[in-house]
Amino acid sequence: MFEFIKDFFTTYSDILPVIALSLRVSLTAAFIASLFGLTLGVITALNEFKLKKPLMRVTNTLMSLPPVLIGLLVYMLITRKGPLGSYGLLFTPTAMIIAQCILVFPIIFGLTVSSVSEAAKDIQLTCITLGAGRRDTLLTILSECRMQLLSVVTAGFGRAISEVGAVMMVGGNIRGKTRVMTTYIALETGKGNFEEAVFIGIVLLCISFIINITLYRIQRRE
Amino acid sequence: MIISVENLVKDYGSARVLDVEKLQLKEGINVILGSNGSGKSTLISLISGLLKPSGGNILYNGKKIDDSLRNYISVLVQKPYLFKKSSYENIISGLKFKKISKEEIELRLEKYLHYLDVEPLLSKKSHWLSGGERAKIALLRTAVLETEVTILDEPTAAMDIESTFKAEVLFRDMASNNRTVIVVTHDVFQARRIADYVLFMDKGKIIEMGLKYDVLDNPKSALLKQILNK
Repeated sequence: MFEFIKDFFTTYSDILPVIALSLRVSLTAAFIASLFGLTLGVITALNEFKLKKPLMRVTNTLMSLPPVLIGLLVYMLITRKGPLGSYGLLFTPTAMIIAQCILVFPIIFGLTVSSVSEAAKDIQLTCITLGAGRRDTLLTILSECRMQLLSVVTAGFGRAISEVGAVMMVGGNIRGKTRVMTTYIALETGKGNFEEAVFIGIVLLCISFIINITLYRIQRRE
Repeated sequence: MIISVENLVKDYGSARVLDVEKLQLKEGINVILGSNGSGKSTLISLISGLLKPSGGNILYNGKKIDDSLRNYISVLVQKPYLFKKSSYENIISGLKFKKISKEEIELRLEKYLHYLDVEPLLSKKSHWLSGGERAKIALLRTAVLETEVTILDEPTAAMDIESTFKAEVLFRDMASNNRTVIVVTHDVFQARRIADYVLFMDKGKIIEMGLKYDVLDNPKSALLKQILNK
């Protein structure tokens, strides 16, 4: 098995950079989206305000937004004639990260609000009664709800690494530059190279499996 | 610290759940008695700043305190949340929030841990604790803060009788050095054991208040007489 994988990577040496770029783009997007999504999610969960219900309805809608639509929006923003055209982002990994951030943020934000709402209020009350400031309260909530939030981040990363529409449109699937696993599979399938497409598909599955195993182990340890 | 309340009201929509014309909570142990829904928890939530009043004033040593209230008052709520950490970390969590030094934390632990015999529980994670053990850890977590005012909402409800008596010794020590302890309870026998002052509430109003012996030995209201079998 090991020999087969070694031979495969020697024969198709362009696959490793594709896997590496996929991980880099999706991990970065998930990290940035988590930074904002988790913080704003916890703050929203803790506070009651007039527009909370409409905000959550909009978030729920955005959670199921088609990636191609996000790809189109980001494309229009960063294309040479678009408002951000001067930055030269089109067909770069940065553009792919931006698109995936927009795709993943509503998922992380929405799931954070729904998963920590109840517990966060109890933790907040306890922190206040013990004299904690706002920063300590927020950090304590994030720490206490870490298992739920870890699942949320994992779901966000899963969405990012598995989507094809947005990265295809804003990345352009350029060999050695913006080609990621999903666009590679789409391309190779179109060319009839099923062996390579299936292999990359297996790699994607393995990444998902490793993440789930890690999550399960952390949960058991907790 | 003396807490004075004037014309304090709390409304939820059109329903008035609390209406207190005048009240003074003095240094020592103040026990608030009353049946379910009598307004005890609302009153202590207002005094501790966890709820905002619909009207009226609360003065602490004659002054209004808003932002720094947490430095003076600590609260043990009815169903306290324990952090997913060890008992030891739970007990010191409030001290860490207040950035108390390690040396001082050790001194406070030495001073308070023996009251409730929790030493064997210190390394246990909170989710392995029984209801009574959780109540002890939560009580100690509040006690070590040594705030001028400590509010305890039914602190011994989950404890066995032996632990309850030990906790009552702790309440007495918490009220030393001119500090104010407010204990909410349904238990008139506990009120008799620990109180300096008793306050009896019903339907959001204060029916009787005063020194323990005045209120519990010579109740004036029919309801309190009935509760005390007088």
